[in-house]
Amino acid sequence: MKRRNFIKSICAVSAVAATITPSVLLAKDAPKGANVLTYDAAVAAITGGKAVADSDKVKLTVPEIAENGAVVPVKVNVESPMTESDYVKAIHVLTTKNGNARSVDVMLTPMNAKGYFATRIKLAGTQDVVALVELSDGSFLRAAKPVKVTIGGCG
Amino acid sequence: MAEARKSMIKFKPKKFKAGDTIKVDFIVIHPMETGTRKDKKTGKIKPAKFIDSITFSFDGKPFTSMKVWETVSTNPYFSVNMKVPGKGKITVDYTDNTGEKNSKSKKLKPKG
Repeated sequence: MKRRNFIKSICAVSAVAATITPSVLLAKDAPKGANVLTYDAAVAAITGGKAVADSDKVKLTVPEIAENGAVVPVKVNVESPMTESDYVKAIHVLTTKNGNARSVDVMLTPMNAKGYFATRIKLAGTQDVVALVELSDGSFLRAAKPVKVTIGGCG
Repeated sequence: MAEARKSMIKFKPKKFKAGDTIKVDFIVIHPMETGTRKDKKTGKIKPAKFIDSITFSFDGKPFTSMKVWETVSTNPYFSVNMKVPGKGKITVDYTDNTGEKNSKSKKLKPKG
């Protein structure tokens, strides 16, 4: 019995060690810095507490189902005259469940002639992609669409 | 200029006149490491390396700037519109979170 208990205790200790060490190492190697931000915090940081209205003027084009979450094409089109007095100031591409909710902040000028932006982003899983648009008068518009990310092929 | 990266600027459509609105696409070969992935061989965490800012300029005058985070895909692609003011040069300057600076330029030649 003594021997059995001894082996048991060793197993328990090593199991605990195995579960603890990686997380400790992780914390040491990759400090959770400024780049980890939740969606709500990111929106608050961009808008500064201003109201955000869902709008038809913002057209967000994303695939309904993304087979590969590492490459998800995102296209944003904003209806705007793009004159000196009325133009799209910024387009922010955000995600709701990524570790870092922000993807790209694009600052546009009237020289762009169209409120258009396209890129490819990574998605950690099934979630919403959000386009937050700031107009030159300081108001915010928003469009969101869910993207289903399939992992592991057919499902 | 730390390291020459492969990058490309494309105008769409290829033929355009002054005053037309064209698409300016920019693609760069870059790993865009998030800093949370593990190297499968060594078991160590790969350090973060991603492009964090991009500026598009026409003849030295910036017209679009971007703040980029690690959630953008590997070998990132960015596309914006612009109204062609005339002959000139489009320059894209980009920097990395490690301080690596690069730029790419292409002549803008409107016809007619």
